[in-house]
Amino acid sequence: MSKRGGMRTAATAATIIVCFVLLAASVGPAMVSARPANQIPVESVSADAQPQDPTSEAWDTVPAVGVPMASAPSSVPNASETSVESIRVQSARTEKRLYLRLSWADGTADRNVSGPRRFADALAVQVPVNTSARPPISMGSDRNLVNVWYWSADGKTEELLAGGPGTTTKFEESAVETETTYDDGRWTVVMSRELESSAENRTPFAVENNVDVAFAVWNGSEMERSGRKSVSEWYHFPFGPGPQGPPYESILWTIAGLAIVGVALVTVKAVQKN
Amino acid sequence: MSTDNDATTEQVDLAEGIDHQVAMVMDLNKCIGCQTCTVACKSLWTEGGGRDYMYWNNVETKPGKGYPRDWEDSGGGWKSSEHNERKPGEIPSQEDYGDAWEFNHEEILYNGSDEPLRPDSDPEWGPNWDEDRGAGEYPNSYYFYLPRICNHCTHPSCVEACPRKAMYKREEDGIVLIDQERCRGYRYCVEGCPYKKVYYNATQKTSEKCIFCYPRIEGEGPDGETFAPACAEDCPPQLRLVGFLDDEEGPIHKLVNEYEVALPLHPEYQTQPNVYYIPPFAPPQHSEDGESVDVERIPRNYLEELFGERVHDALDTIEKERDKVNRGGESELLDMLTDTNPARKYRLEVFDDE
Ligand code: SF4
Ligand code: SF4
Repeated sequence: MSKRGGMRTAATAATIIVCFVLLAASVGPAMVSARPANQIPVESVSADAQPQDPTSEAWDTVPAVGVPMASAPSSVPNASETSVESIRVQSARTEKRLYLRLSWADGTADRNVSGPRRFADALAVQVPVNTSARPPISMGSDRNLVNVWYWSADGKTEELLAGGPGTTTKFEESAVETETTYDDGRWTVVMSRELESSAENRTPFAVENNVDVAFAVWNGSEMERSGRKSVSEWYHFPFGPGPQGPPYESILWTIAGLAIVGVALVTVKAVQKN
Repeated sequence: MSTDNDATTEQVDLAEGIDHQVAMVMDLNKCIGCQTCTVACKSLWTEGGGRDYMYWNNVETKPGKGYPRDWEDSGGGWKSSEHNERKPGEIPSQEDYGDAWEFNHEEILYNGSDEPLRPDSDPEWGPNWDEDRGAGEYPNSYYFYLPRICNHCTHPSCVEACPRKAMYKREEDGIVLIDQERCRGYRYCVEGCPYKKVYYNATQKTSEKCIFCYPRIEGEGPDGETFAPACAEDCPPQLRLVGFLDDEEGPIHKLVNEYEVALPLHPEYQTQPNVYYIPPFAPPQHSEDGESVDVERIPRNYLEELFGERVHDALDTIEKERDKVNRGGESELLDMLTDTNPARKYRLEVFDDE
């Protein structure tokens, strides 16, 4: 084969590879998911559509994120024995309020803590007090506090402040509203709070940056309580610049693709030299 | 006494950071199982409000399953005297505690029913279900009563079990308490206490326990007087001594640390209780024709199961002192065990001037 012929072949090969990479970069994220990693998209809905109601049609068009759950690291006995493996999370906002609709499978609705061995099913949503810094996932730290919205199936919702495990204290009055249904082996809980917050240590949502959020679920009939719980990683609400927040996945796919091109070109060059 | 004060101070092993330690000695040879203590405690602290099933003070028949049923098999406590690893424990079921029964008083007392008086429910277990049953066969059956409260332990595994640090040992007197504001009803203390002396209140949604009647010992009673815990003061045979373990002039210190005849229940749980028992004596066994034979009625190995190996020496010491008195001699030990003077039995103001 002549030298020139070899060059042309290499150039053609490189072009094909670049085309493939660009295609992969655009199609790839769509195949994985249509949004950046660990994002809970927040859809605008009208207050008239009653998003507080877990069965409201307002939720039909709000995308759901499947959030994997795992046992929280904790020093309480049997901390690694938890039962809920994933939850579905949707989020919406009206002009005034932020809503979260959370739903998970649980074969028994444990509402009554009527005896010494009975525990209620429960759910918690955790957000940082200071939305510009990510606190330690296990209930923050004394320097980086978190708000915890804690709903228990025995009927109460508490708004808590925490700075590390075992430190929760109640806000005097909870600003979080909760409505729930249990149907066909699934809890569905809608929690909401006003976007604005003027109270001390209450997370503001009317901000220009992404806001971290994490979830925890307890299955009462498995005696899950306290640190024995299923928890998520940090997720975020995309309140930052751009309609969807930083598109991490697309960026990663493109970087990976360009790296492949680089390697291919270097390889082609090396082959030509020999 | 005063010359070896320093040496004895070192012997009194108090929990870290505790100034003094309240303690109680119960002489099991005097308990008649009347439950006056149980009722005194219940009417003071655990009537209504989700507390009906709780007995901060209970009196159970031994041998027997106790309250809650089979609490001795429910785990908790520490793995060793190092106190660095706890034993897993279980929360007893409501059935094991038994419910507070409602009775058909209304029908019988007011509506002229001639039914027998009985619970409205159909219970299959409850506190004292096996009362006076004991063990052994006629004519050598045996049992005794065991009054139990929280031991306000020196190494309380209940405190250690709480992930919220809602439980603590009071600095001034070592009383173990639950901060009701911090408690979130997780019940790790209930499973962590090997004596099952923390109870979950399903109405308040917090755990609760014996408070050693601290308002009484603080002098919050009528006329600002100091009283011993109600279970002690109300006991007809006055079998409880109340005071401080580190009050070296008091009978508790002498019985526990000098004569070593007052022993903790189940020392192998390693929580180091501050309630101590004088182990029970019983008449010897009888032959079929009613003659006394030289065999102990309550098997020693059973007492050893409850009070540990030291029970042998304790019983021997008491026996020796009794012989001494029987021969016309004097015994400080027996004087203490038979003292009826409340000022000497309840020494709760000895450290008030500090
Ligand atoms: S008896 Fe149980 S509840 Fe009381 S201090 Fe000891 S471990 Fe705690
Ligand atoms: S009041 Fe005294 S004698 Fe009666 S059961 Fe209680 S401890 Fe025993």
